[in-house]
Amino acid sequence: MLTAERTKTDVLILGSGGAGLFAALHAHDADPSLDVTIATKGLLGKCGCTRMVQGGYNVSIHPGDSVERHFMDTIEGGKWLPDQDLAWTLCETAVERIQELENEIGCFFDRNPDGTVHGKAFAGQTFDRTVHKGDLTGIEIINRLMEQVWARPINRLEEHRAIALVPAADGSRIAGVLFIDIRTGQFRFVQARAVLLATGGGPTMYRYHTPSGDKSMDGLAMALQAGLALRDMEMVQFHPTGLLAGAGTRMTGTVLEEGLRGAGGHLLNGAMERFMEAQDPKAERATRDIVSRSIYREMQAGRTTPHGGVYIKMSHLGPDVVAEKFRGMVQRCADCGFDLAGGLVEVVPTAHYLMGGVECAVDTSTDMHGLFVAGEDAGGVHGANRLGGNGVANSTVFGGIAGEVMAEWVSQDADHAEPDEDAIAGNMADAMAPFAQEAGDLDGLRERLLTIMWEDAGVIRNRDGLERALEALDTLEQDLSATGLPVMDLAFNLTWHDWLNLKSLIAVSKVIAAAALARENSRGAHYREDFPDTGTLETSTFTSVRQVDGALDVTAKPVKFTRVKPGQTLLDDVAPAAE
Amino acid sequence: MTNMLSVKIWRGGSEGAFTAYSVPSQDSQTVLDVVTWVQRNADPALTYRFACRVGMCGSCAMTVNGVPRWTCRTHVSKVAKDGALTIAPLTNLPVIKDLACDMEAFFDKWQRADGRFVPSKSRHDAIPAIRPDGSKRVAADEAIECINCAVCYAACDTVTWNVDYLGPAALNRAWTLVNDERDAGQKSRLEAVTADGGCLSCHSHQTCHELCPNQLNPTRSIAGLKRTAASAWWKGDVR
Repeated sequence: MLTAERTKTDVLILGSGGAGLFAALHAHDADPSLDVTIATKGLLGKCGCTRMVQGGYNVSIHPGDSVERHFMDTIEGGKWLPDQDLAWTLCETAVERIQELENEIGCFFDRNPDGTVHGKAFAGQTFDRTVHKGDLTGIEIINRLMEQVWARPINRLEEHRAIALVPAADGSRIAGVLFIDIRTGQFRFVQARAVLLATGGGPTMYRYHTPSGDKSMDGLAMALQAGLALRDMEMVQFHPTGLLAGAGTRMTGTVLEEGLRGAGGHLLNGAMERFMEAQDPKAERATRDIVSRSIYREMQAGRTTPHGGVYIKMSHLGPDVVAEKFRGMVQRCADCGFDLAGGLVEVVPTAHYLMGGVECAVDTSTDMHGLFVAGEDAGGVHGANRLGGNGVANSTVFGGIAGEVMAEWVSQDADHAEPDEDAIAGNMADAMAPFAQEAGDLDGLRERLLTIMWEDAGVIRNRDGLERALEALDTLEQDLSATGLPVMDLAFNLTWHDWLNLKSLIAVSKVIAAAALARENSRGAHYREDFPDTGTLETSTFTSVRQVDGALDVTAKPVKFTRVKPGQTLLDDVAPAAE
Repeated sequence: MTNMLSVKIWRGGSEGAFTAYSVPSQDSQTVLDVVTWVQRNADPALTYRFACRVGMCGSCAMTVNGVPRWTCRTHVSKVAKDGALTIAPLTNLPVIKDLACDMEAFFDKWQRADGRFVPSKSRHDAIPAIRPDGSKRVAADEAIECINCAVCYAACDTVTWNVDYLGPAALNRAWTLVNDERDAGQKSRLEAVTADGGCLSCHSHQTCHELCPNQLNPTRSIAGLKRTAASAWWKGDVR
């Protein structure tokens, strides 16, 4: 008989990125008498993706900019699919949040020579509004947030993997979350009055991907299992230049920054020819989606480098200049054995961010009573495409809102609910299932997943490929269920977690493929070569996927243009004021 | 024929032993890749910790051929001696299992050093104008890019000798705050870093500076704390 250790808390937060840490601080500060617990798959603040933010934080604090302008850029960038109230809240609240980060949390963002905060230019925006700390903005934000959380009486469950959102016995609400304590291998059920899902997305089911290696879509897999609707799941953002260094290294897929192309870097195919000039007047400086697709086409045509990608070349700008301007990037490549400043480095498009996520309201509440969602696990803020710099703004804005809302909710709502014991027992049994099966080739299954998603549900999609992907994912899911693990110590057992990671990734991959098959047009990050047109903006719909009796139910829901309609703008004067 | 690396990896907790593995060598291969290959192909129960893969999270530091390093950014060719690697957990921290350490003490000391910002303004105030070329801001900036990987902490002899010593990373963070003109916690922090186990314990061996993967210089920061503390003591600002 499997058993779980049991504990109770008032507010339970899953994830310790920008959303989770902000939620913990705001919940605690709103009512210090609350018992607040933050659970995370790795070490607090050290796993996940907020930390990896290079670009910066979009916020309208500079003279001549406005919340309206930031909002319009977000809506246009999202190809009119964002939930406009979520997007508005993002842009409006970012102002207070960046001031909180500087004035209360202790971040120090880069300044202009006169001491005012620097705003840098970032693709797809009509104003230079991206606040940053060099090209390591995420580290500054997370380090400072971690310090504040460590300083407060907030419970930490580090190296705790959430495996199920457990409903109440009467089904009325969430009762708590079931975990595996990774260090001991024991199950732990934490009963909570409010739960925040903030585990972060991270599309690591693609052969080439940028997110942190611990990411495996556990949050969305749990939400799906809990019956929640996921929206915009076909919207997977690819970054055009991931490092390509072979299958045997974790370096492969990690991002080489946008600025390399912006500064004048060239992309060359395997025949050493530039190919972007023929694709777009801006050549290598074209937007991420155009460059990603162009590289992908070179790869399809077989004009590739030894590892199957293309080259990025910076040396014509002067190796010394490149080494100075991109110190961090050049050093990272050098550590890995590549000469970015003077030589050629192989690159490939790489899965970077998932715009899709759980459908939620502006106050971060979901359809499950007592469950809230923020950050990359939430859908609707970015629509079809996320602007660089809106990711960390999203997680910190809505994480903070969730903290306040949960503190208020807990003060009003009834006490802890009794959990559905069958759900706890069933999820523990499912997690242990591989130990009852004969040990098999887990690595081979992972390779199959990476290939299916890369080839048939990736940068360029079509009906045949997506149908093939859905079928292959079903087979893969069955094969994973039949693939066991050797009997071994469960304490800090990474291979067991690799198996569980794969299970989550396959579940969410099916949703991505199903949503991509349903969307018969090309918007933002989603490109169908059999339906290359954008479709009519005025009748835009977003995909919504739910798991019903084990099958995926996909519907198209109309976008509500609550603040601005296609063809309109909130700006009186479309051109930004001179700085 | 594939060249093979002779790899020895620590298995166990504080008590344990090295186990030998033969790992195929590749052109692009970090120490983290070696450890990953062993877990995926030779020993599925091997425990290690990593996250970002690119030197941003500071989760994957280990002792490689006797020296603490980030493993995700250490190419095998830079550290292997005649194709041999010995990989152990970081020193100066308790081992949980195999290559993963308990970092609790490291972060506790970060707090003991008052390594956190104390606000003087609120979220309702505009961000203050602070010139980037002021001497205090320059001093803070040159020490700020720490990712709390604990390489310096593992490398520090003083930590080994004195378990109460706060260590280079915590004191380095305190130094950035001492130079932060927005911070309202200066007096308490100076007392924290000059108490037993604080900056006065540093013997300036410079190992933290030599091994910091981000080329920070905690020894210089700690020297700065000593000067600031002495000056504050003479002025009677701190006990």
